[in-house]
Amino acid sequence: MRDEEVERGLASNPRILLMSGAIIISLILLLLPAIFPDLGFGGLKYGLDLDGGSWLQLRPEGAMAQIDADVGDIITHEYSSFLNTTVTVTGTTDTSVSFEVGTLVTAKQVESLGYGQAAVSGGRSGVSAITLQVDKNHVISRYLENSYKTEVVLSEDRDGLWHEIRKQTSAEELEDILDDVGGSVILYRDGVSQATLIKTKEILEDKLNLFGLSDVKPTIVEREFILIDLAGIDIETAMNLAATPGKFEIRIQTEGNESIHAVYGEDIQTVGIHEANNGVWGVPFTLTQQGAVLLREAAIETNAVNAPLNHEVIMYLDNEVIFSAPLNDRLANNLKIMPVQDMSASFGGDIESKESAKQLESHLRAGALPVNVEVIGSGQVPASLGAQFKELTAIAGLLAIIMVSFMIYLRYRRKEIMLPMIITSISEVVMILGFASAVKWQLDLPAIAGIIAVIGTGIDHLVIITDEVLYEGKLPPTKVYLARISRAFGIIFAAAATTIVAMIWLFWMGFGALKGFALTTIIGVLIGVLIARPAYARIIKEVLKEEQE
Amino acid sequence: MKNINIEQYIESYLKKVSTTQMIIIPLVLLLLSLVILGWSFISTGSPVELGIEFTGGTTVTVESTLSFEEVQQQFTSQFPDTPPISARDAGGGRVMLKFAPMDEAAQMELNEYLTSNFGKEISLQQISALYGKNLQISAIKAVIYAFLGMAVLVFIIFKSVVPSGAVVLSAFSDIVIAATLMNLFGIALSLGTVAALLMLIGYSIDSDILLTTRLLKRRGKLDDKIKGAMKTGLTMTTTTIAAIFILFLVSTFAQYVSSFSRIDIISDISAVLLLGLATDLMNTWMLNTGMLKWYMGREVPIGKKKRGGRK
Repeated sequence: MRDEEVERGLASNPRILLMSGAIIISLILLLLPAIFPDLGFGGLKYGLDLDGGSWLQLRPEGAMAQIDADVGDIITHEYSSFLNTTVTVTGTTDTSVSFEVGTLVTAKQVESLGYGQAAVSGGRSGVSAITLQVDKNHVISRYLENSYKTEVVLSEDRDGLWHEIRKQTSAEELEDILDDVGGSVILYRDGVSQATLIKTKEILEDKLNLFGLSDVKPTIVEREFILIDLAGIDIETAMNLAATPGKFEIRIQTEGNESIHAVYGEDIQTVGIHEANNGVWGVPFTLTQQGAVLLREAAIETNAVNAPLNHEVIMYLDNEVIFSAPLNDRLANNLKIMPVQDMSASFGGDIESKESAKQLESHLRAGALPVNVEVIGSGQVPASLGAQFKELTAIAGLLAIIMVSFMIYLRYRRKEIMLPMIITSISEVVMILGFASAVKWQLDLPAIAGIIAVIGTGIDHLVIITDEVLYEGKLPPTKVYLARISRAFGIIFAAAATTIVAMIWLFWMGFGALKGFALTTIIGVLIGVLIARPAYARIIKEVLKEEQE
Repeated sequence: MKNINIEQYIESYLKKVSTTQMIIIPLVLLLLSLVILGWSFISTGSPVELGIEFTGGTTVTVESTLSFEEVQQQFTSQFPDTPPISARDAGGGRVMLKFAPMDEAAQMELNEYLTSNFGKEISLQQISALYGKNLQISAIKAVIYAFLGMAVLVFIIFKSVVPSGAVVLSAFSDIVIAATLMNLFGIALSLGTVAALLMLIGYSIDSDILLTTRLLKRRGKLDDKIKGAMKTGLTMTTTTIAAIFILFLVSTFAQYVSSFSRIDIISDISAVLLLGLATDLMNTWMLNTGMLKWYMGREVPIGKKKRGGRK
């Protein structure tokens, strides 16, 4: 702190200018919507607990595991039960496994289990020699898929290669499944990969947009959950919208009620808007390249390409049939030659068909959720209660300010000290709110608790400054003043730093409702020590000087 | 005139209470608190009662003209498999019901019943048991990390073991005794009260750092320095207590003067802060002051001896 700075007038002091500027900007930000309601900028956004609405916290169901298992053992186990005969492994390499089975088989039959490409030879005395081109991790994934009857995908992160099981399971269940083939679980953790989590979130967002909730942005919290805040929506609607969509699957009918799997929702790349094409309502959609190949394989295997009317394409959402129709002739013919990515699910031309098409569109979008989601937390606050909370916290805040003013007056008996102190404190609140408005974070009850915490320590610090500056009730000589004020700020910075350190973990871990609390406290403390308190120190000196003259 | 009174009180306090008493009384209370928390941990599996955010479960607040017992009865007969485990009057013609954790289907059924019978004016909060467990671990981590972060910083600031240790011990004691008082007053640990315990770290540190800085870095007689620090510190804490007290009154009792509802989270936070700040008064001006007095009193004679030796 330099002497010349102290000697300068109050109005041109940089610290005062900084605070005045911050207050003015904050006030403008806060009052903008009141003056220009159409601007759509500034003002305060309130959390659900103050504005009413509902929230859902979802956990994608699944597990990640690192697994070791012998390819030969898996092949033996799988083919002996599939072909109902003995299987003898005759040799394995890194990329292939050779085995003999006690029955006559075709390569296509062997490949239908999905372990790899097969070369079959022999047939001598009813024994087939088979060589399968395999990849170890793929074989393990495939084995899990067959056992769990759900998708298992490989995912890599810094901890290594994981098999992501897209279904609720447990370490014990997985161990049981692997026991059958002598495999073992190296590492197991509940939950899905980050990529799957993000994908699930994006699809949910799409689905909510479809229902006209374009400002609803699901967020990922704690790297594990998806949090959705739905302002003005009741909990039942929210649950139906966001929590119910399940797994989507396309199957192709083989005979009667039998069908085989073709494509999972994940392979639906884009879904168009339902539309009438030549008077027929339908929903256009595209498959991924992989999806197109899979659908073609299934269509060929079931012979749907040749006899579409006997082999309908069936779409399931959570094992409910949502669409069933034969391939149209043109598509069937095309599929004989090559995979097709562009598809359309068509209904009739009447108004009912339009509704069906609309519904299928949202199902297709929502159905693409890679995993089921479990509602692990939910809540609702009615708007009327939120309004009450707002009113009540405002009343409490006002009364608290009056109470603090009274206490400060009781202690110093001078309104020249009390007024700057209270005004500084209120300014801190204004600046915190201004900041909240500028960065558009939602003010909820925990955030208000954070503001209270900041104001509490704020008053503490103003008292520390005042008591240091007041030397036996008077303003000390400049040199003493400077020494004392720097000691006061030493205390304040130390206290502020510890508060921030205490809160930073909470903010960083960011769990649920307390993130807002931590953020408000940290920002508030920073505004307090960097802007408001230095300005107060300057003001209180001026006030005391004037008083003495 | 008031100022002089305060100074007189401080003076007589410093005269009457010995350094040993200053240290022993808070330490005995801290020990007693640890015993109570430990006993509670052994008998219930948790040092403090856990709210539904940590145990999992559902709380529902509905508007009703019936008494809360009648509403509870109504829900019990409607949902015999997942009956409410408790009910109370929430003010403003509202009744609050608590349910144990239930599965998603049961929750959907409950939600449907609520919306069709009580309209849109229902508040609801549901946490699964699993997520509650998860939150519990996160909350414990947050408090431990916050405390460790604070402790490390305090040691960096004061660089000297006894004064830093005294600050950290008194902050620790604040949290422990506040938690014990929560236990005795039946305030459950919720996200709000965890926030309050973390706030306590901040408040506690304010007065402790003031005290330590004043005693270590100011020149003058020890008792005068303590007196000065106490005057400032008591102003700080009593002002905060007064403000929080207002907050507690409004959030808790507004339901009795008008149709307002109780704001549970603010009410809980302010209650814990009140208890904690009262505890902090003791820990700062007895435990921490006593330890510093002992530490500095022990140093002064050594200094005197040296000077005497030179003469």
